Amino acid sequence: MGIAVGDTLESEKRQRSSRSVIPQRADEISDEQCMAYLAGPEVEAALSKLYDRYSRTVFGVGLKILGDRSLAEELVQEVFLKVWRSSRTFDPSRSNFSTWLYRLTRSVAVDLYRKGARRVHPVSDGAPYIATASDSSAGPQEIVDKSWLSWRVSRALEGLDAAHREVIELAYFGGLSQREISRRTGVPIGTVKTRTARAFKSLREDLVVQDSSREAMQ
Amino acid sequence: MTYAQFHPNLAAFVLGGLEPEEAAAVRRHLASCPDCRNELRELEEVNRALEAGPPPADPPGYLKDEILSRVRAGELSSISERSSSSRNPHASEDSRSRSLRFVLPSVAAVALVATITLGIVFGLREEAPLATIRLLPTPEEASELEGYWGVAEIYPQPSGNQQVKLKLNNFDEPKPNSYYEVWFVSGDRRISAGSFTSVGEGGTRVWLTVPPEARNYPTLLITEERVDGDPAPSEGVALKGEMS
Repeated sequence: MGIAVGDTLESEKRQRSSRSVIPQRADEISDEQCMAYLAGPEVEAALSKLYDRYSRTVFGVGLKILGDRSLAEELVQEVFLKVWRSSRTFDPSRSNFSTWLYRLTRSVAVDLYRKGARRVHPVSDGAPYIATASDSSAGPQEIVDKSWLSWRVSRALEGLDAAHREVIELAYFGGLSQREISRRTGVPIGTVKTRTARAFKSLREDLVVQDSSREAMQ
Repeated sequence: MTYAQFHPNLAAFVLGGLEPEEAAAVRRHLASCPDCRNELRELEEVNRALEAGPPPADPPGYLKDEILSRVRAGELSSISERSSSSRNPHASEDSRSRSLRFVLPSVAAVALVATITLGIVFGLREEAPLATIRLLPTPEEASELEGYWGVAEIYPQPSGNQQVKLKLNNFDEPKPNSYYEVWFVSGDRRISAGSFTSVGEGGTRVWLTVPPEARNYPTLLITEERVDGDPAPSEGVALKGEMS
């Protein structure tokens, strides 16, 4: 009897509430299983699951390396449509899904960068879909260079549960002190410090350079 | 030394998130604790890595719906594109390098070459692209070209609106103090789908959203408008396509 993706996803939702720093993945449907489901009737549920897991990373990396919200949105759309269309080319024995998706994202980002040089610019009442100015200082090679670390950091942050990710985002990206985070979130200052320490410990373990870096850069 | 034995405020110290007196206490501790100094160096590496990280941001909510709608529509859009390409095997959207020099004649003078790809999508799935409209300026210019100058693909959205995806090739910049506007026209009625500008050579891609009623306006026009506060459309039509 096959696994019903929808049921599995519901089961996962129930499990999320009990997570600590790092979400428990052992009982969840894996990324690689989702890829297999893309060829069958559960395609939407499977792609939806992959989107939920990775869209923030693809979008964030797009913002980081393309410097343009509109291009980053286009990147997300193109990447996940390519995931669907190219699912049969994914070979889990050669790379894990995250690495495969990174390479796909990098490829699309470079294409979009090149097209971005000819991109339209907003007019006074232009639709929000139209690009704002992009970072013209970065070239395709720089995109390649920057994207892998950006991807890894994003994945490490996504690996934290919401409470621990929140303190890091408020502290690092928001520039808030621990006391300000406590006030903002209503969490006791001691808990904020504990979460910060645990989150950093988890990030350090995830961001240790591994051989997979070379694999991804190929 | 186990993790629990390190100074509990080291991570917050690295992030610069401690009160002055707390930070001073950490500094005093570091002066006498080599293990925590080593730990600090590793945490500082994490802090530097965060610099490469993307800012926390969620993609807009509608993106997922649009992607899943496209998936539901199967490969219909790609079938549509292959259909267009097969009519002109030299047509390659990104391969053309010649610049478009379009004139801005009256609507009556603009020749129309429009191909609608509809049959595949109707009656099969509601989410399928509604149409692929080929856009051209004049037959004289078009006859010297390989392929088409522009295409408007229309997709349904879960909200009921329609997404118009414009792909224009080598589309000239508008004149100074001017911009382009996209219209859906039926007789003397029209709906503005939005405005944009172009940078000339290369591919210009624009996404616009129109209400469902636009499907009752069979002609698509791209006009050049002056920035003069006058909302009335100009007579200068750059590209035109027609749904049948």
